[in-house]
Amino acid sequence: MTNQQPVNIIMIEDDEGHARLIEKNIRRAGITNDIQHFTDGTSALDYLFNAPEGPAKNGPALVLLDLNLPDMSGTDILARIKAEGPLKRTPVVVLTTTDDKIEIQRCYDLGCNVYITKPVNYESFAQAIRQLGLFLSVIQVPDLEGDG
Amino acid sequence: MTISDRLFQRLVFVFMIAGFTLLATAGVVSVWQLNRSQYFTQWVDHTYRVQGRLLELRYLVERAETARRGFILRPEPRFYDAWRRAAAAIPITVDRIAETTVDNTDQAKRIAELRPLIARQRAAWIQTMGLVKAGRPQTAIRMFRTDDSTDVTRHIRRVLEAMVAEEARLLARRSEEQSAGSGLLYAVLGIAGVLVIIVGITSVVIIRSYTRDLARSRTALRALNENLEDAVKERTTDLQRANDEIQRFAYIVSHDLRSPLVNVMGFTSELASLVPPLTEFVERADKEAPAIVTAEARLAITEDLPEAIGFIRSSTEKMDRLINAILRLSREGRRTISVQKVDMAALLEEIRNSMQHALTEKGVDLLIEAPIPSIVSDRLALEQIFSNLIENAVKYLKPGTPGIVKVRGRAEGLRLIYEVEDNGRGIDPRDHERIFDLFRRSGTQDVPGEGIGLAHVRALAYRLGGVIDCDAALDRGAKFRLSMPATFSVNQEAAS
Repeated sequence: MTNQQPVNIIMIEDDEGHARLIEKNIRRAGITNDIQHFTDGTSALDYLFNAPEGPAKNGPALVLLDLNLPDMSGTDILARIKAEGPLKRTPVVVLTTTDDKIEIQRCYDLGCNVYITKPVNYESFAQAIRQLGLFLSVIQVPDLEGDG
Repeated sequence: MTISDRLFQRLVFVFMIAGFTLLATAGVVSVWQLNRSQYFTQWVDHTYRVQGRLLELRYLVERAETARRGFILRPEPRFYDAWRRAAAAIPITVDRIAETTVDNTDQAKRIAELRPLIARQRAAWIQTMGLVKAGRPQTAIRMFRTDDSTDVTRHIRRVLEAMVAEEARLLARRSEEQSAGSGLLYAVLGIAGVLVIIVGITSVVIIRSYTRDLARSRTALRALNENLEDAVKERTTDLQRANDEIQRFAYIVSHDLRSPLVNVMGFTSELASLVPPLTEFVERADKEAPAIVTAEARLAITEDLPEAIGFIRSSTEKMDRLINAILRLSREGRRTISVQKVDMAALLEEIRNSMQHALTEKGVDLLIEAPIPSIVSDRLALEQIFSNLIENAVKYLKPGTPGIVKVRGRAEGLRLIYEVEDNGRGIDPRDHERIFDLFRRSGTQDVPGEGIGLAHVRALAYRLGGVIDCDAALDRGAKFRLSMPATFSVNQEAAS
């Protein structure tokens, strides 16, 4: 963990409302890291693998991934990230409305680190996001220390 | 060659009749011929007897004549005795011959010719023998020389020869007739045999051709059957596809409906979180600058806003439950059924244990009436069906009456009938169909519920090839009757 850069949060979520709610709750949990938001899979993958400031070329990242995207399935993106390459150790949090057991299983099989169902009950959702925020703060501790 | 059934039956019948007729004819002819040949044998026998007697007569005549001549030459008693015996036997033999040839006019005529000759001869014999005995052999010799006894003897011999010849001729004719009869028999038997063979061969040919036709039509039928199976399979696949389509549709729709709902709920919460600071702001304004707080603003912030948020929230929560129900149904529809033998008594006991809390709390008696037949079907689906039915019975009690829920089962042919009966508030007969529809409920809405349970139960029952119906009246309890195939098979799923 010699990397001095802070963790970038890359959120791939086509629903603007969900994205806003997720961001609000992450901020509410005290996480101040940069959040890059993409509403489709193609541009997100392009950023992940090809952008000069993107995680493949530069710095650690954490991916928040929605499975229902307009242009491709979130599981495809998950598979691409977790395949052999510079991003395979990047933590991926799957955030979706699906609570289908088979789907969840598939995500974990592909290497997803955390799976969060977006429940309609907002309280529990906010709770989950805040816990995720705690999770994020834990993994970024070395970087903060590095900064200081 | 194609032979219709009727024609075939007629032909076989005709050929069998023909065959039996021929055999019967051959039998009759054989018997007739046997009788005939017996008759001929009798006649042959007769002929030989007549011939024998004729020869005997001839011998007697010759012997008498010889004995007479011997006696004339040497008058010894043994010649005389010999003559006397032969002469005595002659009329008897003639009578016998006459007796046996009485039916033949020719022979009778000859016998009539013979009799005077023999009488004449006899007279001559007696005369000569008398002379010799009287000691006048010379006279006898003279007489012998002059009389015509030699001619008479020859005449007798000729007549007898003619008679023998006649008998021989008769014999020959009868033999001929007999052999002609045998020939006829052989001919008839031969023809019958040939005809029987022809009938047999024709029958075999017809039967073979018919059998070939049968085999061909059976093959055609089998091919047709296979086609039919293919058609059924195709149709089933179509149905399956349509069903899958609906399931997928339900899944996607319900799934995608949740996405905006997350926003509605999320931002409603955001709104709700704005209420406390706003309320605080109003209170502070009240204290510091009461003039700026209008009654409208206060009402909006302290009452209207929280009320609106409350309604949005309860509605979205309800919507979420409904969507979840649809999701659950579609997921259940896509679940693979695993068929196994299910001990219903044990399954019901498990349900009782899992519901023990609710049963005790509400004071409901759950009676599982033994014996309950076991079933070969999907265990999970059955568990859900009975849990739902029993839960409903426990849920909708009649106020003031201790609840009794009875579960029983019996076999009816290849199906098993299970009943869940309660003494609860019952169901209006108008609603008996409606209660099985999704989101539909009946009666007083004083118990929380979404109207999903029975829809789920019916979907599961259909999936297992079963049928469920309801027998109930208001205030008189309800009885749900589930009819299931004793053994679940894939075809039943396709049919449902």
